[in-house]
Amino acid sequence: MDALSGLAMGFSVMLTPANLYFCFLGSLIGTMVGVLPGLGPLAALALLLPVTFTLSPIAGLAMLAAIFYGAMYGGSTTSILVNIPGEAASVITCLDGHQMARQGRAGAALGMAALGSFIAGTLSLIVLTFFAPALAAIAIRFGPPENFGLMALGLVCTLFMITGSKLKGLLMIALGFLLSSVGMDMVNGNERFTFGVTDLTAGIELLAVVIGLFGISEILLNVESVAKNSLVADRIKKLIPTWADWKASFAPILRGSGLGFLLGIVPGGGPITASFMSYAMERRIAREPERFGKGAIEGVAGPESANNAAVAGSMIPLLSLGIPSNPITALLLGALIIQGIQPGPLFITQRPDLFWGVIAAMYIGNVMLLVLNLPLIGLWVQMLRIPYRFLFPLIVLLAMVGTYSANKNVFDLWMMLGFGLLGWLLRKLEYDIAPFVLAFVLAPLLEQSLRQSMTMSVDGAMILFQRPVSAGLVAASALLLVLMVIRQFKRKRGDS
Amino acid sequence: MVERLLNLFWILLGSAAAWQSWKLGLRGPSGPESGLFPFIASCGIAVLGLSLMLARASRVAQPQWPDARAGLRTVGVALGIALMAFGMDRLGFVVSAAIAMPVLLRTIDRASWLETLILTVGSIAAIVLVFGKLLGMPLPRGPWGW
Repeated sequence: MDALSGLAMGFSVMLTPANLYFCFLGSLIGTMVGVLPGLGPLAALALLLPVTFTLSPIAGLAMLAAIFYGAMYGGSTTSILVNIPGEAASVITCLDGHQMARQGRAGAALGMAALGSFIAGTLSLIVLTFFAPALAAIAIRFGPPENFGLMALGLVCTLFMITGSKLKGLLMIALGFLLSSVGMDMVNGNERFTFGVTDLTAGIELLAVVIGLFGISEILLNVESVAKNSLVADRIKKLIPTWADWKASFAPILRGSGLGFLLGIVPGGGPITASFMSYAMERRIAREPERFGKGAIEGVAGPESANNAAVAGSMIPLLSLGIPSNPITALLLGALIIQGIQPGPLFITQRPDLFWGVIAAMYIGNVMLLVLNLPLIGLWVQMLRIPYRFLFPLIVLLAMVGTYSANKNVFDLWMMLGFGLLGWLLRKLEYDIAPFVLAFVLAPLLEQSLRQSMTMSVDGAMILFQRPVSAGLVAASALLLVLMVIRQFKRKRGDS
Repeated sequence: MVERLLNLFWILLGSAAAWQSWKLGLRGPSGPESGLFPFIASCGIAVLGLSLMLARASRVAQPQWPDARAGLRTVGVALGIALMAFGMDRLGFVVSAAIAMPVLLRTIDRASWLETLILTVGSIAAIVLVFGKLLGMPLPRGPWGW
């Protein structure tokens, strides 16, 4: 079956009132989840998983997938207007999106985030439709050495996005590395830094870290002066970006789409890594990198496109190989297995209705989300207009329910509070906490892939240079590192 | 002062974690052992903490610490979260949220008692309805069964 007839079959499966309704419901819930800080897509998917058991496989999967990319769309709204990321992949949008809002350009930021997401989502879906088998074949060739190269490149890119003191940024990366190693060593089962605490055996929950560091610390900082409401929504106008905005954002959207899609395919990639790497890349190649962090529209367009493209990308290994590339697709995999479907190489041939139906659902959901995000922006803003003194306790309550929902464990709530207080202190002392999160996500994958590479190698670390893809990625990481050192050296010489 | 204490904390944390990592083992017959990566990270934390202690350029000139009233609000929010985390397993979601919400509402901006009552009851009811009933999420229950 060729791609076009497959897609036609997918649309014929999806275009029933019930399937469209659940796709719309997923888009709506996903956007709400993205807009409201404290409740991320992972928590929402986990919460809604039992609901889908009663639905047909296509309706359930369409709804869950819509929540996933709906949250990617909606997450930018809160990042831009309140400076609190609605979900982890929108952390980076806070940097320039909120600055744009403070400069009275909230409409342009929101519009570009939504349109960039739509363009990236559509482009990556087209690629997914026509090149799924070929791309899946590339992804399946990625072994531990290639994954190590990719993770190393991701971490080097993190160095470029450190704002403020480089020493503090590097310390955050090291801390992310250290804290990610807490729990059971996945290679040999040894416990690390658990000190006999059973709750630490599974490691520190990412949701507690992200909500604590970004959500709770933001609330703690903001309650210091309640009169100051950082919801910048009173001047939202001109949601359609200007020609100048398009000109500045067009290339970042395309680059973000490509990068996000590729990172979505490979394990460990996904929307969070994609948005961070896109920001680092845009900042690296910008003619005036100092504009970043001060309201550069490229800092919104690139990452927002990347995180949406990553959603489509992450569907390739899930649907064609049965390999989840991030925790959210792992949950989607669980949903499929519960429905009695085993995704894998035979999935496309054995259940073409479902495979193409999911792709069609993503096309439909993408359009639904554009409708939800642009004309209904007022509704989302109204949701955020609730005064802080009422909004804060509600966000805290939602954050607590969201964090608790991940593992049904009160220990995660203490973790969330601990990271909230740590984030408050670090932000007071001008530490950049975003590199911590990326290091926290990438470090376990980096460590695991290196150790697996060493185990399968007879020449030790040389395996990383014997395979062309991993050698290329490691070389690119080294080159970027050297470039950064040279730039720092030149800057210091210039200062003195 | 606080920054120096934090830098000292980084040095101590890095050193202690490096010692723990060393005990886990750095290299085995098939390559890196469980302790290698955390050892590198810990050494990095200790060295960077020491560098921050010595480098004046990285210090924040005048950190904006909250005044007494603002500090009280910050403590109030942290206390509200702590109360709820403490009570979730022991008292259940409804009761712990009913204790924590007034603390949060009254400390953040002295909401009136009527507003506090309405918002506490409303938000708890909404969460129980949406998460507990509609979505079937098992919210923790107290000894009285709810």
